[in-house]
Amino acid sequence: MTDLRPLPLSGIRVLDFGHIVAGPFCVRLLADLGADVVKVETSTRQGRTGARRNRPRSGGGTSGRTPHLAQINRNRRSIDLNLKTDQGRDVALKLIATADVLVENFSSGVMDRLGLGYDALAKINPRLVYTSMSAFGHTGPRHGWTGMNVTLQACSGLMLATGEAGDPPIGISNSWNDYIGGLHAAVAIVGALGKRRETGKGCYLDVSQFECSVATVGSLLLASAVSGKPPARHGSRSTATAPQGCYRCAGADQWCAISVESDEQWHSLLAALGGPATQLRALDLATAADRLRHHDAIDRAINAWTATLSPAEVEHRLKSLGIPAAAMRRGPDLTEVAAWRKLLLPLEGAGGSDLKVVGLPFSLRGSAPIAATEAPRVGATGRQALRDWLDLDEQAIAELLPETAS
Amino acid sequence: MARILDLTSIAGAYGTRLLAELGHDVVRIETPQGDTLRRLEPHLGAALDLDRGAFHQFLNAGKRSMAIDLASEKGQRLLLALAGKADAVIASLPLLVAEDRLLAANPNLVFVRLDDGPPELCALASSGLLAITGEPDGKPTMLGGHVPYAAVGTYVALAAAAALFERQATGTGRIVDISAVECLAALAEQVWVEYSVSGESLERMGSRGGITALAGALPCADGHWMISVPPDPRGWTNFVELVPDPTFKDDASLVDEAMRRERKHEILDRIALWSEQKKKREIVEEAQRLHIPAASVANPLELVDDPQLLARGFLRPVDHPDFGRMNFPVGALASLSGVDLSFAPHLGENTTELLAEIGCPAADVERLEREGIVKA
Repeated sequence: MTDLRPLPLSGIRVLDFGHIVAGPFCVRLLADLGADVVKVETSTRQGRTGARRNRPRSGGGTSGRTPHLAQINRNRRSIDLNLKTDQGRDVALKLIATADVLVENFSSGVMDRLGLGYDALAKINPRLVYTSMSAFGHTGPRHGWTGMNVTLQACSGLMLATGEAGDPPIGISNSWNDYIGGLHAAVAIVGALGKRRETGKGCYLDVSQFECSVATVGSLLLASAVSGKPPARHGSRSTATAPQGCYRCAGADQWCAISVESDEQWHSLLAALGGPATQLRALDLATAADRLRHHDAIDRAINAWTATLSPAEVEHRLKSLGIPAAAMRRGPDLTEVAAWRKLLLPLEGAGGSDLKVVGLPFSLRGSAPIAATEAPRVGATGRQALRDWLDLDEQAIAELLPETAS
Repeated sequence: MARILDLTSIAGAYGTRLLAELGHDVVRIETPQGDTLRRLEPHLGAALDLDRGAFHQFLNAGKRSMAIDLASEKGQRLLLALAGKADAVIASLPLLVAEDRLLAANPNLVFVRLDDGPPELCALASSGLLAITGEPDGKPTMLGGHVPYAAVGTYVALAAAAALFERQATGTGRIVDISAVECLAALAEQVWVEYSVSGESLERMGSRGGITALAGALPCADGHWMISVPPDPRGWTNFVELVPDPTFKDDASLVDEAMRRERKHEILDRIALWSEQKKKREIVEEAQRLHIPAASVANPLELVDDPQLLARGFLRPVDHPDFGRMNFPVGALASLSGVDLSFAPHLGENTTELLAEIGCPAADVERLEREGIVKA
């Protein structure tokens, strides 16, 4: 057996000034690709994640973080610095001088006021890839505007591209926009590191989370720019194949997704429907175009069949006939899905609970996947960070971080 | 910059666009009949025109097009010759060319294998994301505009960019295995974390979703606006200044976000009474002045001349060869990198020039086209 290869970003130093979800998630992606991360935070002002900070802390292990923040902030050291003091800023500047990447998602002007804006830092470290991830970007008429996940889902077009005609705006009930922003920023950072190899120079990436979300509906925006019309809302239907939808099954709020992609699958579905299929006898449903035209009638027939079955039973019966179907999974059901089980990693670390965390949804052959290490308490690994990045002895570290006991 | 051969379906096409936005040379390999991405609705013209699909125009911008029949051995050999000169191949599975032949043609290739078998809706249902999208009393619904595929694409781009970054230094390629269902499942991690620590199931919240207690899209005179009140006490005091309802002002208990969560719908209903006569722009500008995260609920048509998108170069005024003067969405990364994306190519627009690079003279291209092996 050949030796395992290091991960692609091993040796890349990332300084995380992020808070809440978007910035720390972007950094986690880089860490999962092998980067070496130090998080700069202040014990007096921890990152927030909305009301879920009030939830039980058990799943956050011993870090004192909520479970959601522990998940987002794993795989990094934490140094506790008050950036409003000269001493805190001096330590930060020493770390910045040796970093490859900096990520921050503060509002416009915050890093500048701390003396940590791009222009100041590029003088100290011209190779730095400095990444801002504000809501709207640090330029333009709305640069000072504040934004959060749901407001960005709203103004990016996502909520009115989702659902059916006449529905209210419909969003997704997780931190969707933070993840989308974090992913785009991570791609931009890796691209900039590649460019730096050619030019020797770092750069400023002024990522706008708003633009990241708008880009995911870019095709619809382009269509509207040409047609002058808002896009049609198709609910769960496809514009190319039919039938496709979420069908109500037996039980409280139980659903199964079905997506027929070919005429052959359609004939198999008709056979599976049995009795309810007779409702459709009078209709010509030979092609996808025919079926798109009569989608409502087809949905009634499918619903009559699914209403008496569990989602798992519908999925099982249809899949055995080669028809794509999937029960709608919730939290308790997720580990029934093979793709889900593959994603879960045990969380390592002192005092770690048996919580499993979600890893990267891809694998780089030739390397072991990175282990998930518990998020430290704020500041718990600051000395280690200084030792590793600045190659300092204990006395020099004690001078830089006199207050913390760790 | 790297040369990337793009053999993805719609699930990967946004990912290869992002790589083009970074400045890479992305060559879209399609059949001489044109692929499904070109056929996807809406079409911006009367009849089905392979050059006028909105998804094709957006997702294939910045790419070149090479049309080859990969069902034929001759076509496969052309692809292998191209792969010999490429840095990466990104492909939806199954690939028509045997994978060992591809890697033999170029052992140092970055090869991203995208498993995107299940249809979008089924992948969402399995992932846990469908359960958190839709009105609570209505149907679960998928995110529109093939946004789930765009999300998969961002992971595809990240995996490929990381492997290319490594190859740039080491000269060695990588095989990367990526699954669309797993990408969507990874984005449902909060569903999993919530369940595994509290035993609670996150559920769909429709227009009133969000992690903060008080968040929702509310009606106003010209549509909807969205508010999210930050969890800290200052978020609430700012809010009370925006919506001068005595019920809020006089109730000290509402400073606590847990209490606001309990009375969420009652509070949102009262805010709706206040906002229904106002225009969204007026509400949102006043809210932003008070540092309250509020936004217009916009449909994509309202964004086509958005001042913020124009000012930052996300939207670029262009003379489009098919559509005339328009604001073109260059993308969230191209607006940063400054890369000037070309318009989406005609089917096989770059076939001849790419064949020339692998030593195939123009006379041969004509013959290959007559045989139906390529479209040039």
